[in-house]
Amino acid sequence: MSGLVRWLHAPVPEARAAVFRVLVYLFVPLDVLVLHTSGEYHGHADPAFYQPLLVGRVLPLPTPTVELVQLCKWGVVLLACALVVLCVRGRYSRVLGWTVFALYLEYQVIAFSYGKVDHDRFGYLLALAVVPTLGAVRLRSATRSEAAGWTLRMAQLGAVATYFYAAFAKLRFGGLGWVTSGTVARAVIRRGTWVADELLRRAPSLIQASQWGIMAMELLAPGLFALSERWRRRVVAGFFVFHLVTYVSITIAFWPHLLTLLAFLPLERLVGVTPPPPEPSPLARWLPARLGGRPDRRPVAVP
Amino acid sequence: MSAGRGAGATAPVGGVVRLSRAGLAWRGAVLLAGTLLVTYGTARGTDDLWPFAPMSQFAFGVDLDGEIRSTYVDALTTEGDVVRVPLSPRGVGVGRAEVEGQLPSIVADPSKLGALAVAQRRLHPDEPQYVRLWLRQEVTRLRGGRDAGRSDELLATWDVVPGGQG
Repeated sequence: MSGLVRWLHAPVPEARAAVFRVLVYLFVPLDVLVLHTSGEYHGHADPAFYQPLLVGRVLPLPTPTVELVQLCKWGVVLLACALVVLCVRGRYSRVLGWTVFALYLEYQVIAFSYGKVDHDRFGYLLALAVVPTLGAVRLRSATRSEAAGWTLRMAQLGAVATYFYAAFAKLRFGGLGWVTSGTVARAVIRRGTWVADELLRRAPSLIQASQWGIMAMELLAPGLFALSERWRRRVVAGFFVFHLVTYVSITIAFWPHLLTLLAFLPLERLVGVTPPPPEPSPLARWLPARLGGRPDRRPVAVP
Repeated sequence: MSAGRGAGATAPVGGVVRLSRAGLAWRGAVLLAGTLLVTYGTARGTDDLWPFAPMSQFAFGVDLDGEIRSTYVDALTTEGDVVRVPLSPRGVGVGRAEVEGQLPSIVADPSKLGALAVAQRRLHPDEPQYVRLWLRQEVTRLRGGRDAGRSDELLATWDVVPGGQG
C-alpha cells in the first residue's frame, strides 16, 4: 500500500509539470478554435436536437444559445491564454485554472449533447482538473516535488485508462468477436482515405488483423508502468505512430489524448532543465540489462 | 493550503518537496472516487454519464456478411437544384454521427429535418435555402468483410414550411 502511495506521488522536477501545464493550456485555444468546434455550431442548431447529458440535467445547465457558446468559447480561450503567461510567474493558477476547467467542461457538454460522445477527452479533462493543484511553480525549477509527480501521474493514468477502458468497452459492446468483426472496415467504408480504401480492396485481412493489434495494445497499456522510463518513452512513441497511421487511414486523431500522452516525457528538457536519472522499472530486477533492467545486474557467465 | 508550491505541500526536505498528510489524503480520495466512477461508467453506464461514460468509440462488432449504413440528407433548394446537405457542425449545426445518434426520433418525427433547414438559414443566410429534404442512407453490403455493392434507402421526407420554424 505504501509502495503504491509513494508511486502515485513519485517526485519529478517541478519544471516537468510546469511545462506540461503550459502545453495543456496552449491546447485549449487550438482545440476550441480549430479542432473541436462542434460546441460553437451547436449554438445555431435547433434546440430540438439538444439532448443534455446527465451532468447537464443535474446541474442543470441551460439549453445552448449562440450567446452561451460564444461566452464559453472566448472565456475559455482568453483565460487559458492568460494562464500560459501567468503560470510562468506562478500566480492565480488555481482559481483561473479551475475556471478554465469549468468552462471547458460546459463547452464539451454542449458539444456532446446532440447525439454523439467522443471518449478522447477523458485524460485531457483530467489533466485540466489537476494542473491547477500545482499552484506557484517556476517554469525552470529543477526542484523535485511530490505535487508535480502526482499531477503528471494523474495525466498518465488518464491516458492509460483511455486505452484500457476502451478495450473494456469493445469487449462489453462488441463481445469477444469484436476482433474478428468488420469494425475497422466499416470506418474505412464510411470515412476512409484513398490509402485505407486501397488497403481494404487489396488486403482486407490486414484491415481485420489490425483489430487484434488494437485490442492487444489497449489491453496491455497498463503494462506501460511496469517498464523502465526509457522503454516507456519508446512505447509512447509507438502510440504516436499508431495514431498517425489511424489519421492517414480514416482522418481521425484523438488530439487531446495525444496531448495527455506528453505527460510521459521529460518535458523539462524544453526549458533547459536536466532530467534526473531515469527511475528503474518495477520489473527491472527480473529483466536483463538490454531490456531496461538494472545495469549493475550482470549476466552470469556460462562456463 | 499553502500559497506556495503545490497545494498541501511542505518545505523541501533533502531536495524534494513533500506533500503534507492533508495533501496526500484529498488526492487519494479524489483518485479513488474518480476511479470508481469511470469503472462503473465503463462496466454499466452509457454515453449519458460522460465524462465517466464508457470509452465506446468503435466499440461495436460489425458482421462481416452484414451491411454498413451511412446516413446523408439531400435538399431541393430555392434555386431548383438538388444538393447534398453538409452534415457537419459548420454546415447545419450538427454532424452526421449526431444525426445518426438521433435517427429513430427523426424518422418518427420528420419535422425535425426542418430544423436542419433553419440552422442552414442561420449559418449561411446568403446561400440558396432548402425547401424539401430527403433523409437517406447508403447501404454497403459486406461479403467476407469486402464491399459487395451499394444501394440507397429513403428514410424520411420533409417539406420546409416557407418562412416558418422549419
